[in-house]
Amino acid sequence: MTITKMIAKDEWRYWWRSKLATSVMLVGLILIAGSSILTAKQMTDAAHERAHLQSEAEEAFFSQPNRHPHRMVHYGHYAFRTPPPLGIIDPGIDAYTGDSIFLEGHRQNSAMFADRQASSELAIFGALTPALLLQTLAPLLLVLIGYNVITREREARTFDQLIAQGMTPLKIMIGKGYALVGVAGLMIVPLFVAIIFATLDGEPFVSASLFMVGYALYLLIWCIGIVLASTMMRTPSASLGALLAAWVVVAILIPRISSNAAVSLVDAPGKIETDFAVIEAVSKVGDGHNAADPAFTALRANMLQQYNVDKVEDLPVNFRGVVAGAAEANLTDILNKFAEERMQVEVAQANIARYFGWLSPVLGIREFSMKVAGVDLETHHRFLRETEALRFDFVQSLNRVHAEKLTFADDANRSSNPEAEKRTRVSAENWKVLDEFDFSSLPANNRIENASMSLMKLVFWVVLLLVLCRFVGRRAL
Amino acid sequence: MSNIVVEARNLSVMRGQTPVLSDINFEVRKGEVFALLGGNGAGKSTTLHTFLGLLPPQSGEAILFGKAVHSDVASVRSKVAYLPEAATLYGHLTAIENIEYFLSLAGIKKSSNEIVQALDRVSLQKEAHNQNMERYSKGMRQKTAIALALLRETPVLFLDEPTSGLDPVAIDEFNQLITSLAAAGTTIVMVTHDVYGACQVAHRIALLRRGALVGSFEADEGGKIDTETVHAAFAERAAS
Amino acid sequence: MSMFSSFTRELRFFLKQPAAIVLVLVAISLSVFSVWSGLSEVERQQETIERLLVADAKDRAAVLAKESDYGGAAYYSFHLTYDPPSRLAFAALGERDTSPWKHRIRMLALEAQIYESDTANAELAQSGQFDFAFVLSILMPVFLIILLHDLRASERAAGRHDLLVATSASDNNLWRSRAFVRVILLSIGVLIPFLFGAMVSGASLLSIVSVLGIAIAQILFWSFLCLWASARSYAGPTIASGLLAVWMLTTFVVPAMSDAFIEAIIPAPEGGDIILTQRESVNDAWDLPKEATMETFVKEHPEWAEYAEINRPFEWKWYYAFQQVGDQSVADMSEKRRAAILKRDKAAQWFAFLSPSSLTERSLTGVAGTDAKAAMHYQQHVRNFHGSLREYYYPLLFKGAAYEAITLANLPRFKALSDRK
Repeated sequence: MTITKMIAKDEWRYWWRSKLATSVMLVGLILIAGSSILTAKQMTDAAHERAHLQSEAEEAFFSQPNRHPHRMVHYGHYAFRTPPPLGIIDPGIDAYTGDSIFLEGHRQNSAMFADRQASSELAIFGALTPALLLQTLAPLLLVLIGYNVITREREARTFDQLIAQGMTPLKIMIGKGYALVGVAGLMIVPLFVAIIFATLDGEPFVSASLFMVGYALYLLIWCIGIVLASTMMRTPSASLGALLAAWVVVAILIPRISSNAAVSLVDAPGKIETDFAVIEAVSKVGDGHNAADPAFTALRANMLQQYNVDKVEDLPVNFRGVVAGAAEANLTDILNKFAEERMQVEVAQANIARYFGWLSPVLGIREFSMKVAGVDLETHHRFLRETEALRFDFVQSLNRVHAEKLTFADDANRSSNPEAEKRTRVSAENWKVLDEFDFSSLPANNRIENASMSLMKLVFWVVLLLVLCRFVGRRAL
Repeated sequence: MSNIVVEARNLSVMRGQTPVLSDINFEVRKGEVFALLGGNGAGKSTTLHTFLGLLPPQSGEAILFGKAVHSDVASVRSKVAYLPEAATLYGHLTAIENIEYFLSLAGIKKSSNEIVQALDRVSLQKEAHNQNMERYSKGMRQKTAIALALLRETPVLFLDEPTSGLDPVAIDEFNQLITSLAAAGTTIVMVTHDVYGACQVAHRIALLRRGALVGSFEADEGGKIDTETVHAAFAERAAS
Repeated sequence: MSMFSSFTRELRFFLKQPAAIVLVLVAISLSVFSVWSGLSEVERQQETIERLLVADAKDRAAVLAKESDYGGAAYYSFHLTYDPPSRLAFAALGERDTSPWKHRIRMLALEAQIYESDTANAELAQSGQFDFAFVLSILMPVFLIILLHDLRASERAAGRHDLLVATSASDNNLWRSRAFVRVILLSIGVLIPFLFGAMVSGASLLSIVSVLGIAIAQILFWSFLCLWASARSYAGPTIASGLLAVWMLTTFVVPAMSDAFIEAIIPAPEGGDIILTQRESVNDAWDLPKEATMETFVKEHPEWAEYAEINRPFEWKWYYAFQQVGDQSVADMSEKRRAAILKRDKAAQWFAFLSPSSLTERSLTGVAGTDAKAAMHYQQHVRNFHGSLREYYYPLLFKGAAYEAITLANLPRFKALSDRK
């Protein structure tokens, strides 16, 4: 134990005296700390902004004057997705999917306004979030600092001397590993601070600490990998070359290859294309605005029979409202079916890309981070589902008002008779049917459960590299 | 005068901020073997590097064939072959391929027959000729580098610790080779810390200590320099 | 000694170095993969457009057959608009994964339709595309750094440096021809798959030459940077670290910071605000007196003043008038947003000079017509087409022409900006 500590201390002294290592470390720390502060500010601003817009939208809905309830169905409502607390570290796909959605009757709109569309598009790798830095650039910095931990000793022939002092290669490797882990530890200090802020913002302790553990594991993978490569290679140049090649493959190539593979393997027709099928299916439902549409003949017959009357005018409820409700329900069934299909295709694609996480820890940590933070594709889908539920809910509540508070005669004659029109305007009190919308993350244990597979990928890499270390450590002399 | 081939005139050289050679003067005539003898860090290799145009003089001049090295490095290099200390060639090439490559760098084309002859002359084993050099011992590498220097057929040879890594038999062979080259008119400048080796082949020896010349010895009529005298002087004046 | 003979000498020398050859082979195969994946993505987009065109025509015909007035025809008939990938798009897919290149629009308020995005899977868009532009702008510098950084340092470490310099007639010539061989082999290896792809997709000579020009500029920049660094007397890994730090800063950090900076100094109206305002206006129209709407409408379109009287509770011309008034209410914001996006793009052009990678990527997407400018052109084209729909229907609606199905045979047809650039 003391020997390995001594080796680690010696390595630290070497780094401290090397201009290159200290400047690389400094650049890394400044980048990570700077981006943590900026991203945290950006995301909290966005959270406040969206929460504000949400209550404003609700305010606007409630303050609409007395009018025909179906007008409110078309007036519609907005729902906003507020980022979760850990979003200050990993905004996930926030910049690529819209963060707001317009909800109205008879339609399912897609989320609007991805930031990327209006950005200057200079940043090929996206914004410099702490997540991107820790996942992609921190490993490169670790490589630049640590590629020669052992090849340097070999070059200076001090490796043989250490062995001659009775040290085993494995012990030297562990010592060097400690030293590198120390550097990695420095790099996640800003992450730790950001996580504390997220916890204060409502992130449960379990998920926050697991998030931290995931990143620690991830950087550990790189530390072990670096020591391993430095042991296996003979010269500093070779160890740097091998580690750089590994970094390029794992951090730059595989992520892109994974998305190409996903797109090639699972065909995802665009929204416009599926809309044809949707329109065709929907056309069979009948127009809910037209109570005389033949699609509602059966409904009419049922209702007449149920209330034992002869004409729709004699029904105790407004048949036009009933039709609107029935049409909306049928339509929503169809729309949901298509929406579910689309989401399943997207998840299938994402899952293919995620398999590559077994090949690249960068993809592993990315998946883990997005899942624990709750900023992954599934969360976006949950947002779509929840907003759809909200939409269906308020539309149907309004349709119920339409059916129960209006008479059929007034409703039918409102365009020709101004008096009847006045009577079809219901009190604004009825707009209170709208539920407040507050999109929040899944409970911590659900997110952790979702992230378990990605955590396995990280653990797999740690174990694999440790086994290799033992193997190499026995033979490296 | 015209037979002076190599000349250092008030030569001072710096490496970075540290002065390595200060105010050196010597002359080497055609067909002469001149040995610069000194301990570690005396400035031996620096002297050679200056004459090869690898280092610029701080003041004074390094002169070859009456021309300052600095004024025309390329033409100087075409007249000089250099054998570096612990010469390494390319490990992934054979001795013959290495020699071909380096000769072509100098713009020389030799038939493989000539190359094999040169390798024989330095007595590199036949079976090694077509082996990749990464398998060579230190001595075999040195022999190949010597063969390369011979094949350049330059009027001047600069040798940096030429016999390091050679076994005693090879050293004897090497010394004979040097003597016969000098007899044929090649001017040879070697730097070494090996007193015995220098006395064996050199016509003149200069002692170098901390960048300054501290003594010189000429061969007697028999062409020999007394090893004891030089050794004593070296121990007294040159050993750093 | 002639340049040619030193080139052939170094070529022969290079061909005996397994590590360098492997690297060049890897570069070639990545380039091949990128071209293949670009071509197949473009083909996918082309096929999608073709399928959509057929379905669109069929759908419109079916819808129109059911209609009995022009208002209904305009309401129910959608029109496909699209921006076909250029013949060079395979090399630089650019914005096409985040910006829409297809819209299906109808004669309702356009501002409610134009921001719909029919883009791919968000989680995949995050990883980005593996196209030729990526190989050239991101990976090429890394290859060059690995191949060139220790040109001298490796010889120094192996103890051959002095012998090489002392032996060669001109050592500058030696390093230059060595670097030249490596750069040439790598460049040819990376560019040939592109040329092949360009031939397959039938790109114009001019566009190919432009891409080659961009490629050469990028390669030369990094080659000279590497050569300059490799002439320093540091150890190879130190030089490599320095070069990689430059690469990392200019590829990741500088572009992201410029991006954030540009967004901060050039504010753009939020798209969400535009839609919100537009919606309010359209919704309010139902409650406003119809004359108020028509007045606002006529102010912008005086040619319909004498037909602007609305007598019945619902008339199509009133309906479409308030749709247009909705667009008018946000015309200013929308204009500002587009201007801001173009201004950001212009600023980005300058900032790109701080990052060779971004500059290369931008130049390539510029040549390939897959950049922000092209997306804006497409959007403008869609706006124009939407305008032509209004021009077509308004006389029929305002003058109260009797419905004749045959008239609709003359419906404006969307024509893509260019079939394939």
